Parts: sequence; C-alpha cells; structure tokens
Amino acid sequence: MFINYEHENHVYNVSIERRENYFFITYDNSEYKVKAEETRAGQLKIKIGERLIKSIITEGEKEKFVFVDGHVFRVIPVELTGKKKVRKKEEGDLSSPISGKVVNVKVKKGDSVKKGEVLMVIEAMKMEYLIRAPYDGKVKNINFKENDQVEIGQSTVEVDKEV
Amino acid sequence: MHFLKKESQSGVYNLFKKVLIANRGEIAVRIIKACQEMGIKTVAIYSDVDNDAIHVQLADESVNLGDPTPIESYLNIPKIIKIAKHTGSEAIHPGYGFLAENPDFAQSCNDVGVKFIGPESKVISLMGDKIAAKKTMEKAGVPVIPGYHGLKQDNTTLLKEGKKIGFPLLVKATAGGGGKGMRIVYSEDILEQSIESAKRESKSAFGDDSVFLEKYLDKPRHIEFQILADEHGNVIHLFERECSVQRRHQKIIEETPSPVMTPYLREKMGKAAVAAAKAVGYTNAGTVEFMVDGNLNFYFMEMNTRLQVEHPITEATTGIDLAKWQLRIASGERLTLKQKNLIQRGHAIECRIYAEDPSNGFLPSTGTISKVEPPKGPNIRDDSGIFSGIKITPYYDPILAKLVVYAENRKECLNKMKWALSHYVVLGVTTNIAFLSEVLEHKEFRKGNITTHFIDDYFKDWTVTKDGLPIDAIIALAVYDSIHTKREEIVRYKEADPHSPWKHVGRWRVGGRGI
Repeated sequence: MFINYEHENHVYNVSIERRENYFFITYDNSEYKVKAEETRAGQLKIKIGERLIKSIITEGEKEKFVFVDGHVFRVIPVELTGKKKVRKKEEGDLSSPISGKVVNVKVKKGDSVKKGEVLMVIEAMKMEYLIRAPYDGKVKNINFKENDQVEIGQSTVEVDKEV
Repeated sequence: MHFLKKESQSGVYNLFKKVLIANRGEIAVRIIKACQEMGIKTVAIYSDVDNDAIHVQLADESVNLGDPTPIESYLNIPKIIKIAKHTGSEAIHPGYGFLAENPDFAQSCNDVGVKFIGPESKVISLMGDKIAAKKTMEKAGVPVIPGYHGLKQDNTTLLKEGKKIGFPLLVKATAGGGGKGMRIVYSEDILEQSIESAKRESKSAFGDDSVFLEKYLDKPRHIEFQILADEHGNVIHLFERECSVQRRHQKIIEETPSPVMTPYLREKMGKAAVAAAKAVGYTNAGTVEFMVDGNLNFYFMEMNTRLQVEHPITEATTGIDLAKWQLRIASGERLTLKQKNLIQRGHAIECRIYAEDPSNGFLPSTGTISKVEPPKGPNIRDDSGIFSGIKITPYYDPILAKLVVYAENRKECLNKMKWALSHYVVLGVTTNIAFLSEVLEHKEFRKGNITTHFIDDYFKDWTVTKDGLPIDAIIALAVYDSIHTKREEIVRYKEADPHSPWKHVGRWRVGGRGI
C-alpha cells in the first residue's frame, strides 16, 4: 500500500506492507520493520527494534492528527496521481486570520490607502485583529460590512497595487 | 438534604442549598465540583453552542440561554437573574470573566435577594474603576505607578497627558482586565491610533470606553497576592503568585512561590495586599496585583474582585480550597484560617492550555477536538472543560484547560510539568502545548529570569515544526492507515496505479532487515 501525506506544504511518500506479525514501511530509501498494535481506538504501540513509539491518531474531515512524543502534527493524505499544487500565499492576500465579527470598516471602495493602514477590524474571542494594507494602492472591493460574520480564510478587502 | 440539615443544626455552617453558576468551561466545572463536595445543588446555564458542555452534564439542573453571542447569553443579566429566581437558587457564583466583575450584576442579584458570591457591588465598582482604585490605594499607603487617571477623556487631553508621562507608556481600559482594551505605546506618532483602538476594544468588551495612561516599567514582573476576607472583618493573604509569563498581556504560565521573592518582600507585599483589601471593605476571595521592577520596588496595579484563573497553584501550595471558602464566606461563615498558621509548601506551576496558534501570532483556533487525553499522575491536576468531540467556537475565550502540577521544589516542579505537557493529548485544534513545553525548557525561564516581556524577548518568531514530519509520525501514520484500510481498497489501489511500489514487493521478505 502506497500513501502520500502532506504536511506543511511538503509531501511524504510512504509505502507499507503487512506480513504476518510485522509491518514493513519504506520511506526515503529506508526500510523499517516494526511490530505494532492498536491498544485502543487510534492509540498505537509500535516496536521498532528496541525502541518504542507511542502514538495517538484521530481523523478529521480530510485531515489526520498524529500525537507523538508530546507533539501534534496535522497531515492530509493526498491522491497518488497528479502533481501536488502548492498554493503560495499571495502578497496582497487579505484573507481573514480568524473567524469572527467585523466591528469596523475603515475604508470605502475606491479609497487610496498607504501600506500598513488599517482597513478593517475583526473581533473574535473578545480580541481585535487588524486587516492592514499590504502595499500602497486603491481599494477595489470590500467584501464585508460592519457586524458581518467572517470565516477564517475568507477574503476581506481587495486592494489594487499602485503602479 | 438530610445530611445538610444535620450539619446546620450542629452549627457548623448554614450553607446554601442551591447555587447557580453563571459561567461556562473549566471554571464552571471547577465550581460545580466544589458545590458537589459540600452537598450544594447546582444550576448550570448554557448557550446554544454549549449544549453538550461538561458543566451542563455535571450540574443538577441546567437552563438554556439561547443565542451564543455573549451579550445575549453569559452576559445577559436579566436572563440569568430570572433563571436564578425560577430555579430557586439562593446564590450565584460568577466564576471569572463574563459578569464576575460587573457591579450591576452583583447589585441585581442583591436586589432580588440572591447572594452574589463575591464582594459587594460598590466594592467591585470601585475596584473596576482603575482610576478610583489607584486613588484609594494611594490614600491607604499602598504604592502606585505614575500616570494619568483623569476623567477628561477627549483625545487632546489624553495626548497631552501621554506626552507628559513619556514613552513607552500604557493605554489601559478603565473597566478592563485580561489584557483587553490595553495598548503599549512606544512613540508619540502612534499614540492617537492606540488610544482609539483601546477605546473601541474596551467599549465592545466592557461597554465603557474610558481609558487611563501610565508609565511603562522596565523589567517588570507581575506578582499578585491572593486574599480571603470574610464578612466579619477578617482578612488574610495566601502568599504570592508569579504571573510574569504573558502573551498579548494575558498570563500563560503562573507559579508560586515567585523565584524572585524574599521572606522580607513577601511580608511587606502581603501586608500591603491585606491593607488594600481592608481599605475598601473587601469580602470574599480576591487578588491584589502588583508590578515589581528590577530593583524589587512594588506598585499596586489593580485588584481582581473574583476567583482568578490561576487560583489552583495557591491551593496546591497552601492546601486551602479557595472555591469552597468562597461559598462558605458568602454564606456568612467566619474565616477560621489564621495568617500565622498559613504555610507555603513546595512549588506549583500552572500552564494554561489555549486553543491558539503560537506560531501565528497566538491567533485563536477553532474546530472540533477529535481527541483529548490529559496526563495523569501524582500531584497533577487538570481543570478542564473539554472532551473528545467538543466544538471550539469563536464566541468565547479560547482557554481549554489548566494544567497544574505540584512538587517539592521548583526544579522538580518544572520536570513534572514538562512530563505532563508531553503527555497531554489534544487533537483536532491547534493548541499552545508544544509552545508551553519550549518556554519551560528555556534557560532563562529555568533560572527564574522572567519579566512580562519574556515571550516577546525570546519567542517572537517561534514556529512549531522546524524539521517537518518526524519519522516516528510517518511510521505511526502508515501503520494506522494499514490497519484501517479495507482489503478491497488496497486491491483497487494496486490496479489503479501503474507506478505502484507493490511491483517491488519482492524486495521485502518476512524477517527482512529491521532497524
């Protein structure tokens, strides 16, 4: 069985085969022969030579969470075929960093703004988050008004870069 | 019921029979448990998103508040008062946050004959007004920090006074707390903007937009003293808590004793704290917060008229249950604890587990917690409001749990906390657990060299993973997927993929090379 995991924009190619009491894992030109048992749902005890790996895994909607050695990693299993497209965050991406409520819109469509100027104020968990202009430019679109609910990742304000 | 009657007849104390807890999350759970130990019935309130919350499951009765927006639910005074009356609750415990320091709420309770578990409304009012509080403390001989605490709130006055104090200075919401409505201003050109933003945040969090300005201290530590005061004039302090490690002006790690404390300073500050409480006729549990500078000068900062988030470390080192004393004091019982008999024993640390991303500006994270498993062991306490399957919404404070450990001394305590954090499993939402572990490991923290700037000084650009996915995680994932993949899926997979490594299966032999 061949699996790809995506973690923080890197893809890890792993293969695993189960034979009798052992699992054989191949990753990055190394083979690992391990004994493993799932002691409780999602809880793994893996013996690799004399070393013991204890791990807890749960599944979200598309992602998996792995707890190992006090750390948590979030991975997304990806399809085998096709190159993984890595979407780079654009310079002027003004997506909301948080799900919350718009408490203040500082600019209007067509306003000229300076880099660093506050465009919108979003409140979540009683904290304020400021959406600032990434560069000098002109406000092209404002996607939310005061008191609107905004979700994480949604585009808040669009700014055309001054040329 | 029978048990309670017997107890009051024997004259031990006449406790409440039923208490409403006007809060949610870990603190509601903690208070319900204290009530249960004392044989007091409990009423939980909950908003629509808290239907399945632990405090709701634990309480004897629970009443829905509807709309999860704080102002419509946990901040809705008329709704809560009505529920208290309707359920026959004799008292309301406000927890911390929400209505805990709202004088109108305390007054409303009083007006309908429900006991508010905390100080009197007018005391909350006085202490909530940071300006009046400082003036009162100054009169009582407690040292305060220089600043502008005037009533004139127009921008011209504030700008003028700000320039007079000099930079850096602090803009703080008069009605504030917990870092909300607070800004540090390093230069004149951002003063106006900072004042406006602090005012706006304060208005939305506390319904009041007045601010004050004060000098920002160099190498400041935040050290606070726990107070217990009964309704018969007895006041004691239960020593200090060192709360300097903060992010966004909110505490994340607290410990007691403070690494910088001396017996002499402790006595002086303890006396000042008791004097502060007596000066305002304080009753119930409270905390006097001081700023301590590099030369161990201390200044009164504010008094928190509630049970603090970090109260368990005091409970661990003194052996005294503060939540239970709150209930006893509110029911009129005398404080039987004597200052001279109190002992601070060993060392305790609290780490606040937040749903937030330390590698992304500590932004709160939301989502469903797919799994929670707190560490268990000697002297490990987990005050938690979460369970596997709970949804973390953006409506309320992102605190998930408080991990408190106790040991003989600071070094042992740090080691225990490190162990406990590394065994604290929270999957599904991003937490600050790995970050807390690294803070504890930091050599300056180990030495006890902490100030309120500690996180900014040493952890500004911290990120979680430097080396990507470790091999142990890859192996665990592969094993998990192998166990949980059905046979048909594997076959289909094999056929679908022309580059399948199954073609190389011959390379592997049973009993083949391990490592």
